[in-house]
Amino acid sequence: MKKHVLMLVFGALCAAHVAGADTLKIGFNAPLTGFAAADGKSALTGAELAVEQINAAGGVNGKQLELIVYDDQASPKEAVPVANRLIEQDKVNIGISGSYSGATRAAAGVYQAAGVPYISAYAVHPDITRSGDYVFRTSFVGEVQGRAGAKLIGDMLAKKRVVLITLKNDFGKSLAAGFREAAGQFGVNIVNEYEYSIKDRQFGPIVAKVKSDNPEAIYASGYFFTAGPLVSQLRSAGIDVPVIGQEGYDSQKFIEIAGAAAEGTIITTSLDRDSNAGETRDFIREFEKKAGYKVDMVAASGHTAVKVAAAALAKATSGKALRDAVAATRLVASTGEISFNDLGEVRKDVQVQVVKNAAWHHHSTISDAKLLAPPMK
Amino acid sequence: MLFLELFLQGLVQGSIYALIAIGLTLVYGLLRVLHVAHAGLFTLGGYLGVLVTNASGSLALAMLVAIAVVGSLGMAIYRLCYQPLLEKPPFVALIASIGLFIAMEELYRLIFGPYGMSYVQPPLQDVIVFAGLSLKLAELTTMAIALAAVVGLALLAGRTRLGLAWRASVTVPQMAASFGIDIVRIRYLNFFIASGLAAVAGVMVALLNNLVEPTMGSVPSYKALAIIVLGGLGNVRGTLLAALALGVIESYGTIYLGQLLDRDAIAFAFLIAVLMVRPQGLFGKR
Repeated sequence: MKKHVLMLVFGALCAAHVAGADTLKIGFNAPLTGFAAADGKSALTGAELAVEQINAAGGVNGKQLELIVYDDQASPKEAVPVANRLIEQDKVNIGISGSYSGATRAAAGVYQAAGVPYISAYAVHPDITRSGDYVFRTSFVGEVQGRAGAKLIGDMLAKKRVVLITLKNDFGKSLAAGFREAAGQFGVNIVNEYEYSIKDRQFGPIVAKVKSDNPEAIYASGYFFTAGPLVSQLRSAGIDVPVIGQEGYDSQKFIEIAGAAAEGTIITTSLDRDSNAGETRDFIREFEKKAGYKVDMVAASGHTAVKVAAAALAKATSGKALRDAVAATRLVASTGEISFNDLGEVRKDVQVQVVKNAAWHHHSTISDAKLLAPPMK
Repeated sequence: MLFLELFLQGLVQGSIYALIAIGLTLVYGLLRVLHVAHAGLFTLGGYLGVLVTNASGSLALAMLVAIAVVGSLGMAIYRLCYQPLLEKPPFVALIASIGLFIAMEELYRLIFGPYGMSYVQPPLQDVIVFAGLSLKLAELTTMAIALAAVVGLALLAGRTRLGLAWRASVTVPQMAASFGIDIVRIRYLNFFIASGLAAVAGVMVALLNNLVEPTMGSVPSYKALAIIVLGGLGNVRGTLLAALALGVIESYGTIYLGQLLDRDAIAFAFLIAVLMVRPQGLFGKR
């Protein structure tokens, strides 16, 4: 009897091993604990959804996709061993970052050195793709989104006196840099700029000062957990000028935190909730069913990155050939039509969303290829 | 006018610091333990405030529940974590406390989820305008609570027999015990009050930000340490003044030094500057 059990176990192990060899592996690092765990969880759920959808439709050339996930706590020092483990031990075909800029930048170097393609789903720092030709990004670099913000405020909303409230990290600083770069072009005059740390939730002093600056619009970078309190505090101090944010606000949580104060907040982002595109509508419906909460930008970005990886894996499964397949991507994903420039930066339109009746809705689309041109080197 | 508004905002922030740091200084005064996990109790106060207010619609009830639950948990932490370690060198309790704090943060994330929670209909949102200065009712309430807490503590310590026993236990524990004071009871009371204050701070911060997150206590965990050192370890009045001073300095610093120094860096720059001149803290005795 014992022998039979052993045989069975052995058989099962062999089967598992064969199944293992038959899958295509996608490595995925995201913050699942720590301060950025909320974004990490959304990005992961979006990525899992894409894997489930692809596997249910028969996989990639008959092989199932397998997502191998590690927590990087959004920290560079965690991201490096995670990248090493994914490459050396798990032998992934391709990697995806569902994490923030610091962790993604650190991991990108490891992937580049190993010759394994790596796709950043939503990290914004320009240096990420500069790690080398195996590194790609399916979201906007901060500068591009900053320039879009300047056009939105100066041109589309025709507001000229602007105060910048900048989150002091890779994300906020690159947004502010892009905004400053394009501000002159749209006649925007930056009256003042204030910086805050990612741990801040109390903006009393900045709000008081902004009030005395009396701007026509506020360009404030941040994530929903900083922007929610910020916008609510700006509004309760009686400041009623437009607040323009970016994809970091892009979550239903922003609206829950800021409450009525969220109404009218405008952001530049990658996901259009009111899109007519089948891929986007389908994604939003399926995501909300799977996750049980409203869709956000990072979820769509995680989903998009897996779709890009899967499309490339259909053409090649490793090394240079896979890298070239990613570089040649032409694909309609939940965040729009995706293609890459020579640096591995995505080219796509910027979606502008506004809060109406406690939900994100379509405001406009910015598709100025020259303004939105990502860096080439 | 801006100058005054910044001052006022500094006082609001300072009141929050005070509510958290006073508890910490009470614990230090009695046990000589740096109770880092205090910041974890502060976070729990925030969660309970949001959960109970959303369920019942009453902020007052939420406040009571938060004080009762968090206060009791504070006593449990003393009994289960610090009491067995009191004979060990002080860093043992400190390390236990840090470990406990990290465990609490991750536990909140597991129980309440990583997204944080908000009041569905946040109370005390009305804005009061007085002489051109505006304050949210929640901000005003925070300052009032901090003031009431300090006055209440002063009365308790100075005017009651219990307070006498409390002070005796802090200054000469062996002597107090030999006079029949139940030192263990005093310690429980101390933890209950300290933790209850942290809970109140948590409820108010949750209200001011309309957000509680698992990591809400991470900044207070170390900034409160700076404050109690500034205030002269174990000194309640000193802690209050240090907290308010730090709030105000941060408020001006954010605007006028923000490009150079982080808000949190300002606290420690101030701490270093003060300790260079007065190693015993602003209000400590040598």
